[in-house]
Amino acid sequence: MRGTPMDPGDPRLLFDDTSAGGDRHGHSGVGKGPDVYPGQALLSDPMSNLAMVYGSSLASHGREMMDKNLDRFIPISKLKYYFAVDTVYVGKKLGLLVFPFMHDNWEVSYQQDTPVAPRFDINAPDLYIPLMGFITYILVAGLALGTQNRFSPEILGIQASSALVWLIIEVLAVLLSLYLVTVNTDLTTIDLVAFSGYKYVGMFVGVLAGLLFGRTGYYLSLLWCCVSIFVFTIRTMRLKILSEAAAEGRLVRGAKNQLRMYLTIAIAAAQPIFMYWLTFHLVR
Amino acid sequence: MTLTVTELLAMSGFDKLDADFYQSSFSVDDQNQGGGGYSNTDVQYSNPYGQYDYSQPMGYSAAPGIMQPQQPYTGQIFQPTPAFTPASTQSMYSSSFEDEPPLLEELGINFDHIWQKTLTVLHPLKAADGSIMNETDLAGPMVFCLAFGATLLFTGKIQFGYVYGISAIGCLGMYCLLNLMSMTGVSFGCVASVLGYCLLPMIILSSFGVLFSLQGMLGIILTAAIIGWCSFSASKIIISALAMDGQQLLVAYPCALLYGVFALISVF
Repeated sequence: MRGTPMDPGDPRLLFDDTSAGGDRHGHSGVGKGPDVYPGQALLSDPMSNLAMVYGSSLASHGREMMDKNLDRFIPISKLKYYFAVDTVYVGKKLGLLVFPFMHDNWEVSYQQDTPVAPRFDINAPDLYIPLMGFITYILVAGLALGTQNRFSPEILGIQASSALVWLIIEVLAVLLSLYLVTVNTDLTTIDLVAFSGYKYVGMFVGVLAGLLFGRTGYYLSLLWCCVSIFVFTIRTMRLKILSEAAAEGRLVRGAKNQLRMYLTIAIAAAQPIFMYWLTFHLVR
Repeated sequence: MTLTVTELLAMSGFDKLDADFYQSSFSVDDQNQGGGGYSNTDVQYSNPYGQYDYSQPMGYSAAPGIMQPQQPYTGQIFQPTPAFTPASTQSMYSSSFEDEPPLLEELGINFDHIWQKTLTVLHPLKAADGSIMNETDLAGPMVFCLAFGATLLFTGKIQFGYVYGISAIGCLGMYCLLNLMSMTGVSFGCVASVLGYCLLPMIILSSFGVLFSLQGMLGIILTAAIIGWCSFSASKIIISALAMDGQQLLVAYPCALLYGVFALISVF
Protein backbone atom coordinates (compact mmCIF):
# COMPACT_ATOMS: atom_id res chain seq x y z
CA MET A 1 0.00 0.00 0.00
CA ARG A 2 1.39 3.27 -1.01
CA GLY A 3 -0.68 5.37 1.21
CA THR A 4 1.14 7.49 3.63
CA PRO A 5 0.76 6.96 7.28
CA MET A 6 0.42 10.70 7.76
CA ASP A 7 -2.46 12.31 9.41
CA PRO A 8 -4.93 13.42 6.77
CA GLY A 9 -5.56 16.56 8.68
CA ASP A 10 -1.97 17.58 8.49
CA PRO A 11 -1.69 20.72 6.39
CA ARG A 12 1.77 19.69 5.24
CA LEU A 13 0.18 16.73 3.61
CA LEU A 14 -0.38 18.76 0.48
CA PHE A 15 3.25 18.42 -0.38
CA ASP A 16 4.40 15.40 1.51
CA ASP A 17 1.83 13.06 0.21
CA THR A 18 3.20 13.20 -3.25
CA SER A 19 6.84 12.53 -2.56
CA ALA A 20 6.63 10.34 0.49
CA GLY A 21 5.89 6.66 0.55
CA GLY A 22 7.88 5.91 -2.54
CA ASP A 23 5.20 7.14 -4.79
CA ARG A 24 6.82 6.57 -8.08
CA HIS A 25 4.84 8.91 -10.18
CA GLY A 26 6.09 11.90 -8.29
CA HIS A 27 3.37 14.35 -7.67
CA SER A 28 5.61 17.21 -6.89
CA GLY A 29 3.77 19.10 -9.51
CA VAL A 30 0.85 19.21 -7.23
CA GLY A 31 2.80 21.60 -5.12
CA LYS A 32 2.44 23.95 -8.00
CA GLY A 33 -1.19 23.16 -8.19
CA PRO A 34 -2.56 26.49 -7.19
CA ASP A 35 -0.43 28.13 -9.81
CA VAL A 36 -1.46 25.98 -12.68
CA TYR A 37 -4.94 25.13 -11.82
CA PRO A 38 -6.62 28.26 -13.16
CA GLY A 39 -4.99 27.49 -16.47
CA GLN A 40 -6.02 23.91 -16.30
CA ALA A 41 -9.60 24.95 -16.33
CA LEU A 42 -9.06 25.88 -19.96
CA LEU A 43 -7.61 22.51 -20.85
CA SER A 44 -10.26 20.63 -19.04
CA ASP A 45 -12.97 22.21 -21.08
CA PRO A 46 -14.09 19.66 -23.66
CA MET A 47 -14.51 22.25 -26.34
CA SER A 48 -10.96 23.42 -26.07
CA ASN A 49 -9.76 19.83 -26.20
CA LEU A 50 -11.64 19.43 -29.41
CA ALA A 51 -10.13 22.64 -30.68
CA MET A 52 -6.64 21.47 -29.83
CA VAL A 53 -7.05 18.14 -31.57
CA TYR A 54 -8.54 19.87 -34.58
CA GLY A 55 -5.74 22.38 -34.59
CA SER A 56 -3.05 19.73 -34.55
CA SER A 57 -4.73 17.84 -37.35
CA LEU A 58 -4.97 21.07 -39.33
CA ALA A 59 -1.29 21.66 -38.78
CA SER A 60 -0.31 18.22 -40.04
CA HIS A 61 -2.64 18.60 -43.00
CA GLY A 62 -1.13 21.95 -43.80
CA ARG A 63 2.32 20.50 -43.59
CA GLU A 64 1.47 17.75 -46.06
CA MET A 65 0.04 20.28 -48.43
CA MET A 66 3.09 22.45 -48.14
CA ASP A 67 5.40 19.53 -48.83
CA LYS A 68 3.41 18.58 -51.86
CA ASN A 69 3.36 22.08 -53.29
CA LEU A 70 6.94 22.78 -52.42
CA ASP A 71 7.96 19.81 -54.45
CA ARG A 72 6.14 21.27 -57.40
CA PHE A 73 8.00 24.56 -57.32
CA ILE A 74 11.37 23.48 -56.06
CA PRO A 75 12.21 20.01 -57.30
CA ILE A 76 13.81 18.59 -54.21
CA SER A 77 15.13 15.45 -55.86
CA LYS A 78 16.86 17.43 -58.57
CA LEU A 79 18.37 19.69 -55.97
CA LYS A 80 19.71 16.67 -54.12
CA TYR A 81 21.82 15.85 -57.14
CA TYR A 82 23.63 19.15 -56.87
CA PHE A 83 24.47 18.56 -53.24
CA ALA A 84 25.85 15.05 -53.65
CA VAL A 85 29.38 16.23 -53.13
CA ASP A 86 32.25 15.21 -51.00
CA THR A 87 35.31 16.90 -49.62
CA VAL A 88 37.67 15.77 -52.36
CA TYR A 89 35.41 17.16 -55.07
CA VAL A 90 35.02 20.48 -53.30
CA GLY A 91 38.75 20.80 -52.80
CA LYS A 92 39.53 20.05 -56.42
CA LYS A 93 36.80 22.33 -57.69
CA LEU A 94 37.98 25.23 -55.57
CA GLY A 95 41.45 24.68 -56.92
CA LEU A 96 40.02 24.66 -60.41
CA LEU A 97 38.18 27.91 -59.82
CA VAL A 98 41.35 29.62 -58.77
CA PHE A 99 43.67 27.98 -61.27
CA PRO A 100 41.84 26.57 -64.30
CA PHE A 101 44.74 26.79 -66.70
CA MET A 102 46.17 23.32 -66.35
CA HIS A 103 42.97 21.34 -66.59
CA ASP A 104 42.49 19.49 -69.83
CA ASN A 105 39.30 17.60 -69.92
CA TRP A 106 36.25 19.76 -69.33
CA GLU A 107 33.67 17.27 -70.47
CA VAL A 108 30.90 16.28 -68.15
CA SER A 109 30.68 12.52 -67.98
CA TYR A 110 27.37 10.81 -68.36
CA GLN A 111 26.03 7.55 -67.22
CA GLN A 112 23.30 6.35 -69.55
CA ASP A 113 22.00 9.80 -70.36
CA THR A 114 21.98 11.09 -66.83
CA PRO A 115 24.86 13.17 -65.66
CA VAL A 116 27.06 11.59 -63.07
CA ALA A 117 26.86 12.98 -59.56
CA PRO A 118 29.37 15.72 -58.76
CA ARG A 119 31.13 13.37 -56.40
CA PHE A 120 32.49 11.38 -59.29
CA ASP A 121 33.01 14.05 -61.91
CA ILE A 122 34.87 17.21 -61.25
CA ASN A 123 33.34 18.97 -64.21
CA ALA A 124 29.78 18.59 -63.03
CA PRO A 125 28.15 21.68 -61.53
CA ASP A 126 27.12 21.66 -57.92
CA LEU A 127 25.26 24.01 -55.64
CA TYR A 128 27.21 23.52 -52.44
CA ILE A 129 30.11 25.75 -53.42
CA PRO A 130 27.93 28.62 -54.69
CA LEU A 131 25.76 28.46 -51.58
CA MET A 132 28.67 28.42 -49.16
CA GLY A 133 30.46 31.03 -51.22
CA PHE A 134 27.45 33.29 -51.09
CA ILE A 135 27.05 33.00 -47.33
CA THR A 136 30.77 33.45 -46.74
CA TYR A 137 30.79 36.48 -49.00
CA ILE A 138 27.94 38.03 -47.02
CA LEU A 139 29.68 37.40 -43.71
CA VAL A 140 33.01 38.72 -44.94
CA ALA A 141 31.22 41.77 -46.33
CA GLY A 142 29.74 42.32 -42.89
CA LEU A 143 33.19 41.94 -41.38
CA ALA A 144 34.69 44.39 -43.86
CA LEU A 145 32.01 46.93 -43.17
CA GLY A 146 32.45 46.35 -39.48
CA THR A 147 36.11 47.23 -39.62
CA GLN A 148 35.17 50.46 -41.34
CA ASN A 149 32.56 51.14 -38.69
CA ARG A 150 29.83 51.07 -41.26
CA PHE A 151 28.20 47.98 -39.88
CA SER A 152 24.62 47.52 -38.84
CA PRO A 153 22.51 44.37 -39.08
CA GLU A 154 20.44 45.88 -41.85
CA ILE A 155 23.55 46.24 -43.98
CA LEU A 156 23.94 42.47 -44.03
CA GLY A 157 20.44 42.10 -45.33
CA ILE A 158 21.01 44.78 -47.95
CA GLN A 159 24.20 43.12 -49.18
CA ALA A 160 22.58 39.72 -49.29
CA SER A 161 19.53 40.86 -51.18
CA SER A 162 21.43 42.93 -53.68
CA ALA A 163 23.81 40.08 -54.47
CA LEU A 164 20.88 37.72 -54.82
CA VAL A 165 19.04 40.11 -57.12
CA TRP A 166 22.05 40.52 -59.36
CA LEU A 167 22.36 36.75 -59.54
CA ILE A 168 18.74 36.40 -60.56
CA ILE A 169 19.09 39.12 -63.17
CA GLU A 170 22.17 37.47 -64.61
CA VAL A 171 20.56 34.05 -64.79
CA LEU A 172 17.47 35.50 -66.45
CA ALA A 173 19.58 37.39 -68.95
CA VAL A 174 21.52 34.25 -69.85
CA LEU A 175 18.31 32.26 -70.19
CA LEU A 176 16.84 34.93 -72.43
CA SER A 177 19.86 35.07 -74.66
CA LEU A 178 20.04 31.30 -74.88
CA TYR A 179 16.45 31.31 -75.99
CA LEU A 180 17.03 34.05 -78.55
CA VAL A 181 20.04 32.36 -80.04
CA THR A 182 18.08 29.10 -80.12
CA VAL A 183 20.78 27.00 -78.69
CA ASN A 184 20.04 23.35 -78.15
CA THR A 185 21.66 22.75 -74.89
CA ASP A 186 21.00 20.70 -71.84
CA LEU A 187 21.78 23.54 -69.50
CA THR A 188 19.07 23.75 -66.90
CA THR A 189 18.25 26.81 -64.86
CA ILE A 190 19.85 25.29 -61.81
CA ASP A 191 23.03 24.66 -63.81
CA LEU A 192 23.12 28.32 -64.71
CA VAL A 193 22.60 29.32 -61.11
CA ALA A 194 25.49 27.06 -60.16
CA PHE A 195 27.83 28.45 -62.80
CA SER A 196 26.92 32.02 -61.95
CA GLY A 197 27.41 31.28 -58.29
CA TYR A 198 31.00 30.20 -58.69
CA LYS A 199 32.10 33.81 -58.81
CA TYR A 200 31.27 34.28 -55.13
CA VAL A 201 34.39 32.31 -54.33
CA GLY A 202 36.50 34.82 -56.22
CA MET A 203 34.69 37.70 -54.58
CA PHE A 204 35.32 36.24 -51.15
CA VAL A 205 39.03 35.82 -51.88
CA GLY A 206 39.25 39.37 -53.14
CA VAL A 207 37.52 40.92 -50.16
CA LEU A 208 39.58 38.84 -47.75
CA ALA A 209 42.80 39.93 -49.43
CA GLY A 210 41.55 43.49 -49.27
CA LEU A 211 40.96 43.13 -45.55
CA LEU A 212 44.36 41.66 -44.91
CA PHE A 213 46.54 43.55 -47.35
CA GLY A 214 44.68 46.73 -48.19
CA ARG A 215 43.69 48.04 -51.57
CA THR A 216 46.65 46.65 -53.48
CA GLY A 217 45.98 43.20 -52.18
CA TYR A 218 42.34 43.57 -53.15
CA TYR A 219 43.08 44.66 -56.69
CA LEU A 220 45.72 42.02 -57.30
CA SER A 221 43.69 39.12 -56.02
CA LEU A 222 40.55 40.38 -57.74
CA LEU A 223 42.42 40.59 -61.02
CA TRP A 224 43.67 37.06 -60.66
CA CYS A 225 40.23 35.74 -59.72
CA CYS A 226 38.58 37.60 -62.57
CA VAL A 227 40.97 36.10 -65.08
CA SER A 228 40.52 32.62 -63.72
CA ILE A 229 36.72 32.88 -63.61
CA PHE A 230 36.78 34.14 -67.18
CA VAL A 231 38.80 31.18 -68.36
CA PHE A 232 36.78 28.75 -66.27
CA THR A 233 33.47 30.01 -67.58
CA ILE A 234 34.57 30.03 -71.18
CA ARG A 235 35.93 26.52 -71.02
CA THR A 236 32.86 25.19 -69.25
CA MET A 237 30.24 26.97 -71.28
CA ARG A 238 31.96 26.33 -74.56
CA LEU A 239 31.18 22.69 -74.35
CA LYS A 240 27.61 23.30 -73.50
CA ILE A 241 26.69 26.07 -75.86
CA LEU A 242 28.82 25.68 -78.95
CA SER A 243 28.29 22.90 -81.37
CA GLU A 244 30.45 19.88 -80.99
CA ALA A 245 32.75 20.66 -83.83
CA ALA A 246 33.48 24.15 -82.67
CA ALA A 247 33.97 22.98 -79.11
CA GLU A 248 36.72 20.69 -80.21
CA GLY A 249 38.64 23.65 -81.48
CA ARG A 250 38.16 23.23 -85.17
CA LEU A 251 37.26 26.42 -86.90
CA VAL A 252 33.67 26.28 -88.02
CA ARG A 253 32.35 29.06 -90.15
CA GLY A 254 28.81 30.18 -89.95
CA ALA A 255 26.81 32.93 -88.39
CA LYS A 256 25.22 30.62 -85.89
CA ASN A 257 28.46 29.47 -84.41
CA GLN A 258 29.81 32.96 -84.29
CA LEU A 259 26.74 34.08 -82.43
CA ARG A 260 27.17 31.27 -79.96
CA MET A 261 30.79 32.15 -79.47
CA TYR A 262 29.91 35.76 -78.78
CA LEU A 263 27.31 34.58 -76.31
CA THR A 264 29.83 32.46 -74.47
CA ILE A 265 32.30 35.30 -74.31
CA ALA A 266 29.60 37.67 -73.12
CA ILE A 267 28.59 35.32 -70.31
CA ALA A 268 32.19 34.90 -69.29
CA ALA A 269 32.85 38.62 -69.41
CA ALA A 270 29.85 39.35 -67.24
CA GLN A 271 31.41 37.47 -64.35
CA PRO A 272 34.36 39.80 -63.68
CA ILE A 273 32.13 42.82 -64.11
CA PHE A 274 29.78 41.56 -61.42
CA MET A 275 32.65 40.57 -59.22
CA TYR A 276 34.04 44.07 -59.28
CA TRP A 277 30.64 45.72 -58.99
CA LEU A 278 29.67 43.82 -55.89
CA THR A 279 32.90 44.20 -53.99
CA PHE A 280 34.53 47.52 -54.72
CA HIS A 281 32.50 49.43 -52.18
CA LEU A 282 33.55 47.05 -49.44
CA VAL A 283 37.23 47.81 -49.56
CA ARG A 284 38.49 51.23 -48.72
CA MET B 1 -9.39 1.80 1.60
CA THR B 2 -7.47 4.28 -0.35
CA LEU B 3 -5.91 3.49 -3.58
CA THR B 4 -2.90 5.38 -4.67
CA VAL B 5 -2.28 6.85 -8.04
CA THR B 6 0.01 4.10 -9.14
CA GLU B 7 -2.35 1.37 -8.27
CA LEU B 8 -5.04 3.02 -10.23
CA LEU B 9 -2.74 3.42 -13.16
CA ALA B 10 -1.76 -0.20 -12.96
CA MET B 11 -5.37 -1.11 -12.89
CA SER B 12 -5.96 0.62 -16.09
CA GLY B 13 -3.17 -1.27 -17.73
CA PHE B 14 -0.92 1.67 -18.06
CA ASP B 15 2.67 0.58 -18.10
CA LYS B 16 5.04 3.20 -19.13
CA LEU B 17 4.73 6.80 -19.77
CA ASP B 18 7.47 8.23 -21.85
CA ALA B 19 5.81 11.39 -22.80
CA ASP B 20 6.71 14.92 -22.09
CA PHE B 21 3.39 15.39 -20.47
CA TYR B 22 2.72 13.55 -17.37
CA GLN B 23 -0.96 13.13 -17.21
CA SER B 24 -3.11 11.01 -15.16
CA SER B 25 -6.75 11.55 -15.04
CA PHE B 26 -9.00 10.44 -12.37
CA SER B 27 -12.58 10.45 -13.07
CA VAL B 28 -14.64 9.74 -10.12
CA ASP B 29 -17.58 9.34 -12.38
CA ASP B 30 -16.08 6.72 -14.59
CA GLN B 31 -13.60 4.65 -12.75
CA ASN B 32 -12.88 2.35 -15.65
CA GLN B 33 -11.98 5.19 -17.84
CA GLY B 34 -9.93 6.75 -15.15
CA GLY B 35 -6.64 5.39 -16.29
CA GLY B 36 -7.28 4.98 -19.91
CA GLY B 37 -6.09 7.09 -22.72
CA TYR B 38 -2.61 8.03 -21.64
CA SER B 39 -1.20 9.77 -24.61
CA ASN B 40 0.44 12.97 -25.51
CA THR B 41 -2.70 14.68 -26.57
CA ASP B 42 -4.95 16.47 -24.28
CA VAL B 43 -7.98 14.63 -25.38
CA GLN B 44 -8.18 12.85 -22.15
CA TYR B 45 -8.83 16.10 -20.45
CA SER B 46 -12.35 15.69 -21.51
CA ASN B 47 -12.97 14.44 -18.04
CA PRO B 48 -14.67 17.18 -16.22
CA TYR B 49 -12.63 18.57 -13.40
CA GLY B 50 -14.47 20.16 -10.66
CA GLN B 51 -13.19 22.77 -8.39
CA TYR B 52 -10.20 21.68 -6.50
CA ASP B 53 -10.70 22.70 -2.98
CA TYR B 54 -7.40 23.36 -1.27
CA SER B 55 -9.04 24.40 1.84
CA GLN B 56 -9.89 20.84 2.51
CA PRO B 57 -6.86 18.76 3.24
CA MET B 58 -9.24 15.97 3.81
CA GLY B 59 -10.33 16.26 0.25
CA TYR B 60 -6.76 16.13 -0.95
CA SER B 61 -5.82 13.09 0.98
CA ALA B 62 -8.89 11.40 -0.23
CA ALA B 63 -8.21 12.26 -3.82
CA PRO B 64 -5.84 9.38 -4.50
CA GLY B 65 -8.42 7.18 -3.08
CA ILE B 66 -11.20 8.12 -5.33
CA MET B 67 -12.85 4.84 -4.81
CA GLN B 68 -14.93 6.44 -2.18
CA PRO B 69 -18.11 7.10 -3.91
CA GLN B 70 -19.80 8.08 -0.77
CA GLN B 71 -17.93 11.33 -0.62
CA PRO B 72 -19.22 14.40 -2.37
CA TYR B 73 -17.27 15.00 -5.55
CA THR B 74 -17.29 18.71 -5.78
CA GLY B 75 -13.68 18.93 -4.79
CA GLN B 76 -12.36 15.46 -5.19
CA ILE B 77 -11.26 15.25 -8.72
CA PHE B 78 -7.59 15.06 -8.63
CA GLN B 79 -5.34 16.31 -11.35
CA PRO B 80 -1.87 15.64 -10.19
CA THR B 81 0.76 16.96 -12.51
CA PRO B 82 -0.51 19.31 -15.14
CA ALA B 83 2.57 21.41 -14.67
CA PHE B 84 4.82 19.01 -16.54
CA THR B 85 4.78 20.76 -19.81
CA PRO B 86 7.84 20.88 -22.01
CA ALA B 87 8.21 24.50 -21.18
CA SER B 88 8.74 23.64 -17.59
CA THR B 89 11.52 21.17 -18.18
CA GLN B 90 13.70 23.96 -16.95
CA SER B 91 12.09 23.75 -13.58
CA MET B 92 12.50 20.03 -13.73
CA TYR B 93 16.20 20.51 -13.40
CA SER B 94 15.79 22.05 -10.01
CA SER B 95 13.10 19.72 -8.78
CA SER B 96 14.59 16.64 -10.36
CA PHE B 97 17.14 16.31 -7.65
CA GLU B 98 14.40 15.92 -5.12
CA ASP B 99 12.42 13.43 -7.11
CA GLU B 100 13.26 9.89 -7.76
CA PRO B 101 14.86 8.97 -11.10
CA PRO B 102 11.87 7.23 -12.63
CA LEU B 103 10.18 10.58 -12.94
CA LEU B 104 12.91 11.70 -15.27
CA GLU B 105 12.62 8.59 -17.31
CA GLU B 106 8.98 9.27 -17.80
CA LEU B 107 9.75 12.78 -18.86
CA GLY B 108 12.30 11.61 -21.33
CA ILE B 109 15.16 13.46 -19.72
CA ASN B 110 17.74 10.76 -19.66
CA PHE B 111 20.63 12.09 -17.65
CA ASP B 112 22.92 9.37 -18.83
CA HIS B 113 22.37 10.27 -22.46
CA ILE B 114 22.71 13.95 -21.77
CA TRP B 115 26.00 13.32 -20.04
CA GLN B 116 27.15 11.06 -22.83
CA LYS B 117 26.36 13.67 -25.44
CA THR B 118 28.12 16.36 -23.43
CA LEU B 119 31.19 14.18 -23.18
CA THR B 120 31.08 13.54 -26.91
CA VAL B 121 31.14 17.27 -27.48
CA LEU B 122 33.93 17.80 -25.01
CA HIS B 123 36.18 15.17 -26.55
CA PRO B 124 36.33 16.14 -30.18
CA LEU B 125 38.88 13.53 -31.10
CA LYS B 126 36.96 10.59 -29.74
CA ALA B 127 34.77 8.75 -32.22
CA ALA B 128 31.09 9.39 -31.76
CA ASP B 129 28.33 6.88 -31.45
CA GLY B 130 25.69 7.58 -34.03
CA SER B 131 22.79 6.16 -32.13
CA ILE B 132 22.80 8.65 -29.29
CA MET B 133 21.26 11.22 -31.50
CA ASN B 134 18.20 9.19 -32.16
CA GLU B 135 16.19 10.89 -29.51
CA THR B 136 15.41 14.52 -29.88
CA ASP B 137 16.43 16.14 -26.67
CA LEU B 138 15.97 19.85 -26.57
CA ALA B 139 16.34 20.24 -22.84
CA GLY B 140 20.14 20.26 -22.92
CA PRO B 141 20.40 22.76 -25.78
CA MET B 142 17.97 25.05 -24.05
CA VAL B 143 20.15 25.03 -20.95
CA PHE B 144 23.22 25.75 -23.03
CA CYS B 145 21.56 28.64 -24.86
CA LEU B 146 20.47 30.16 -21.60
CA ALA B 147 23.93 29.68 -20.10
CA PHE B 148 25.45 31.36 -23.14
CA GLY B 149 23.09 34.28 -22.81
CA ALA B 150 23.85 34.46 -19.11
CA THR B 151 27.59 34.61 -19.65
CA LEU B 152 27.02 37.32 -22.24
CA LEU B 153 24.96 39.12 -19.64
CA PHE B 154 27.98 39.19 -17.36
CA THR B 155 29.83 41.23 -19.94
CA GLY B 156 26.98 43.65 -20.19
CA LYS B 157 25.48 42.51 -23.45
CA ILE B 158 21.81 41.77 -23.14
CA GLN B 159 21.45 39.81 -26.35
CA PHE B 160 19.25 36.83 -25.65
CA GLY B 161 17.16 37.78 -28.65
CA TYR B 162 20.11 37.64 -31.01
CA VAL B 163 21.23 34.29 -29.61
CA TYR B 164 17.83 32.73 -30.07
CA GLY B 165 17.24 34.33 -33.45
CA ILE B 166 20.57 33.29 -34.87
CA SER B 167 20.26 29.77 -33.51
CA ALA B 168 16.79 29.46 -35.02
CA ILE B 169 17.90 30.67 -38.44
CA GLY B 170 21.07 28.61 -38.28
CA CYS B 171 19.19 25.47 -37.32
CA LEU B 172 16.77 26.03 -40.16
CA GLY B 173 19.58 26.50 -42.64
CA MET B 174 21.47 23.43 -41.43
CA TYR B 175 18.26 21.40 -41.55
CA CYS B 176 17.69 22.29 -45.20
CA LEU B 177 21.32 21.69 -46.11
CA LEU B 178 21.57 18.36 -44.33
CA ASN B 179 18.35 17.14 -45.86
CA LEU B 180 19.73 17.93 -49.27
CA MET B 181 23.16 16.49 -48.63
CA SER B 182 22.40 13.25 -46.91
CA MET B 183 20.87 10.07 -48.21
CA THR B 184 18.48 9.75 -45.31
CA GLY B 185 16.72 12.83 -44.11
CA VAL B 186 16.98 14.39 -40.71
CA SER B 187 14.37 15.80 -38.46
CA PHE B 188 14.56 19.36 -37.35
CA GLY B 189 14.71 18.37 -33.70
CA CYS B 190 17.78 16.24 -34.28
CA VAL B 191 19.62 19.10 -35.98
CA ALA B 192 18.62 21.56 -33.30
CA SER B 193 19.69 19.14 -30.61
CA VAL B 194 23.15 18.54 -32.09
CA LEU B 195 23.82 22.20 -32.77
CA GLY B 196 22.65 23.11 -29.30
CA TYR B 197 24.91 20.60 -27.60
CA CYS B 198 27.90 21.78 -29.53
CA LEU B 199 27.31 25.29 -28.28
CA LEU B 200 28.98 24.23 -25.04
CA PRO B 201 32.54 25.31 -25.95
CA MET B 202 31.12 28.68 -26.97
CA ILE B 203 30.04 29.12 -23.37
CA ILE B 204 33.64 28.60 -22.32
CA LEU B 205 34.66 31.30 -24.79
CA SER B 206 32.17 33.83 -23.56
CA SER B 207 33.08 33.14 -19.95
CA PHE B 208 36.68 33.90 -20.88
CA GLY B 209 35.31 37.08 -22.36
CA VAL B 210 34.06 38.02 -18.93
CA LEU B 211 37.56 37.77 -17.53
CA PHE B 212 39.53 39.49 -20.25
CA SER B 213 38.79 41.22 -23.50
CA LEU B 214 38.78 38.94 -26.51
CA GLN B 215 39.85 41.49 -29.05
CA GLY B 216 43.55 40.98 -28.68
CA MET B 217 45.73 38.42 -30.39
CA LEU B 218 45.16 35.83 -27.70
CA GLY B 219 41.43 36.36 -27.98
CA ILE B 220 41.48 35.85 -31.71
CA ILE B 221 43.45 32.63 -31.42
CA LEU B 222 41.16 31.38 -28.66
CA THR B 223 38.09 32.27 -30.71
CA ALA B 224 39.38 30.47 -33.77
CA ALA B 225 40.26 27.40 -31.72
CA ILE B 226 36.85 27.30 -30.06
CA ILE B 227 35.00 27.74 -33.34
CA GLY B 228 37.02 24.89 -34.76
CA TRP B 229 36.26 22.75 -31.73
CA CYS B 230 32.52 23.41 -31.89
CA SER B 231 32.17 22.79 -35.59
CA PHE B 232 34.42 19.75 -35.56
CA SER B 233 32.43 18.00 -32.86
CA ALA B 234 29.11 19.02 -34.43
CA SER B 235 30.15 17.63 -37.79
CA LYS B 236 31.52 14.49 -36.17
CA ILE B 237 28.21 13.77 -34.45
CA ILE B 238 26.18 14.58 -37.55
CA ILE B 239 28.12 12.42 -39.93
CA SER B 240 28.13 9.51 -37.55
CA ALA B 241 24.39 9.86 -37.07
CA LEU B 242 23.63 10.19 -40.78
CA ALA B 243 26.34 7.91 -42.13
CA MET B 244 27.71 10.46 -44.54
CA ASP B 245 31.16 9.52 -45.65
CA GLY B 246 33.81 11.90 -46.85
CA GLN B 247 31.73 14.93 -46.04
CA GLN B 248 32.89 15.88 -42.59
CA LEU B 249 34.63 19.07 -43.64
CA LEU B 250 31.67 19.98 -45.81
CA VAL B 251 29.35 19.73 -42.82
CA ALA B 252 31.88 21.40 -40.54
CA TYR B 253 32.11 24.50 -42.70
CA PRO B 254 28.48 25.70 -42.34
CA CYS B 255 28.66 24.85 -38.63
CA ALA B 256 31.79 26.96 -38.41
CA LEU B 257 29.97 29.83 -40.08
CA LEU B 258 27.13 29.56 -37.60
CA TYR B 259 29.38 29.37 -34.57
CA GLY B 260 31.43 32.18 -36.05
CA VAL B 261 28.39 34.40 -35.84
CA PHE B 262 27.97 33.40 -32.19
CA ALA B 263 31.62 34.18 -31.60
CA LEU B 264 31.10 37.57 -33.23
CA ILE B 265 28.42 38.28 -30.67
CA SER B 266 30.70 37.28 -27.82
CA VAL B 267 33.71 39.16 -29.03
CA PHE B 268 32.20 42.40 -30.27
